[in-house]
Amino acid sequence: MDYLYDGSFDGLLTSIYYSYYEQRAQGIYSEASYQFNMFTPSTVIQSDPVLAARVYDAIDRKISVYSLMQIYYVYLSNNTAKENLILKYLQLGFQLGPKIDSIHSHPEVLPIRQTAKKVSFEAERFLGLLRFTDTRNYLYAVLEPDHNILILLADHFADRLAGERFIIHDKKRSLAIICNKKDWYLSDFSEEAAIPDSETEQLYQELWAKYFTGISIENRKNKKLQSHFIPQRYRHNLVEFRKSELL
Amino acid sequence: MSMGTLEKLAVLADGAKYDVSCASSGVNKHNRGGIGNSKSFGICHTWSADGRCVSLLKILLTNYCIYNCNYCVNRNQNDIPRASFTPREVADLTIQFYRRNYIEGLFLSSGIERSPNHTMERIYQVLDILRHEYHFYGYIHVKVIPGADPALVNKTGLLADRMSINIEQPTEQSLKLLAPQKTLPVLFAPMNQIHHQMTQNASERKIFRHVQKFVPAGQSTQMIVGASKDSDLSIIKATETLYNRFQLKRVYYSAYVPVNEGPNLPALSTSPPLLREHRLYQADWLLRFYSFKADEIVNEQSPFLDTDFDPKISWALRNMQLFPLEINQASYEELLRIPGVGVTSAQRIIRQRRLGNISYNHLKKMGVVLKRAKYFITCQGCYYGGIPAESALVRQALTPVAKPVQLCLF
Repeated sequence: MDYLYDGSFDGLLTSIYYSYYEQRAQGIYSEASYQFNMFTPSTVIQSDPVLAARVYDAIDRKISVYSLMQIYYVYLSNNTAKENLILKYLQLGFQLGPKIDSIHSHPEVLPIRQTAKKVSFEAERFLGLLRFTDTRNYLYAVLEPDHNILILLADHFADRLAGERFIIHDKKRSLAIICNKKDWYLSDFSEEAAIPDSETEQLYQELWAKYFTGISIENRKNKKLQSHFIPQRYRHNLVEFRKSELL
Repeated sequence: MSMGTLEKLAVLADGAKYDVSCASSGVNKHNRGGIGNSKSFGICHTWSADGRCVSLLKILLTNYCIYNCNYCVNRNQNDIPRASFTPREVADLTIQFYRRNYIEGLFLSSGIERSPNHTMERIYQVLDILRHEYHFYGYIHVKVIPGADPALVNKTGLLADRMSINIEQPTEQSLKLLAPQKTLPVLFAPMNQIHHQMTQNASERKIFRHVQKFVPAGQSTQMIVGASKDSDLSIIKATETLYNRFQLKRVYYSAYVPVNEGPNLPALSTSPPLLREHRLYQADWLLRFYSFKADEIVNEQSPFLDTDFDPKISWALRNMQLFPLEINQASYEELLRIPGVGVTSAQRIIRQRRLGNISYNHLKKMGVVLKRAKYFITCQGCYYGGIPAESALVRQALTPVAKPVQLCLF
């Protein structure tokens, strides 16, 4: 039996619940991207927060917090087979308990570790690579990450910029973190309206671009190393790369 | 802010860029009703065209200087554009960059304009504005001006996260040659003071929880590589002494970029010794994370690090009698000494082998670099190197092959 879920983390955990208490799941797929086939029957799962919470607690209690975090990171990844990786990992996890955290090279564990690493790495990267624009009323930042990392950034910036209103906009997924000085929430967001820059904004962007070009040492120039740290696909949202080409 | 800021920023960032320290790590702070926080893992914000990370706004308060250190671009005999920021300008610029998430904080250094005390006082003013007016909880790294009053260093240290004094040269002789107005004791005095106060502060905080932290992210220093004739031996020895004596968090190495002409200096056309700098950093890692001693890395017979091999391979090749080690039995300390095994993979091996034997196939998945490690290990009693584990043979197998060059008739 293939289970189809609505794409939410709760939905995924609910499917895992049914896989244990109803019929064993052969695979779990997102409803939106599932391709029906003749041989495997499929059923749509209604996500249920109560059942999801039971699975959530069971992972925490019987496996470990670390594993819980790892599967959450994998859930946020852009891996197309992520649900099945998580399913297999949890099946092994409920057999082994916390020991699963120590067997890095196991074929069911390794892909989880590798995928989770990619997600947490990108999230950490964007703690630095996000650029806010001052629009007079609020700060606005746009990003297009590979994985759905937006929620991992929220607490950090809500603490850092307490007292400021800001929007962090994931253009790729039409999502945004909206923070009103204190509390933040995640919301659908697809505003394309031109955002007015405050008067001083241009000046600070120019100062930053100037600083950025000036800080590099000519004799040590190493574009390959730079590309290693900051791939091309992130650059068009970065002030210093947009501006320094014009300087 | 006027357009004059743009030119000033250009001049003063240019003067600061040869300082290599870039870390914003070592302290966790929450925002308590102002702006900013700090993460102990440090956050890089961008990478400049030379591949170095930009984490802090690294600028000089002024590039006027009464000193005339040979290697320094800001020495007073150099005819370069000079500028000074006011403390308020620096503080405003920091906050505005910080809000936009361009930077993680401030790295403030300075030329010595009138006297060490005058300069240190102005640096303090910047920190005072940032911490007390803006309630800034981001990262601040401050350069200590050698010769400044200990009381000034103290009150600055209570506001900064990290402080550093650059000793620049590992030996008294080379310092005399290149920076005749400085001596090692003058540089060590504030380092010693900071170390002493950090220790005292730590013990006070055990009793009184609300004692203000003093330089919570520790201190660091920098040495220039390649400006004098010092060997790697003296640099690594000096590094080890600094770690042991002052408990420094980091020693940075800066491949000397020729900016000045002088009788005691390399010619202007010399390219910076980047590979040597790289090898020194590798050696530094061995000291800090792999519990190596300086004597094991370099010695009197070979005072320079091997350019073909990293320092750990060089050490292993000199000590082939210790290898091959059995992965399933070696202690954590022994695992760390195997070339190709790092801290992460060693920890993974230790954890996983509690649950069962580790086979050779597992090792690659755990992040071990088998290309190097295979000559130094056995796995469940088997040796996979393919050639006898003898120093000369392994050395030959590991020597990097020169890239083939397309032949040309002309």
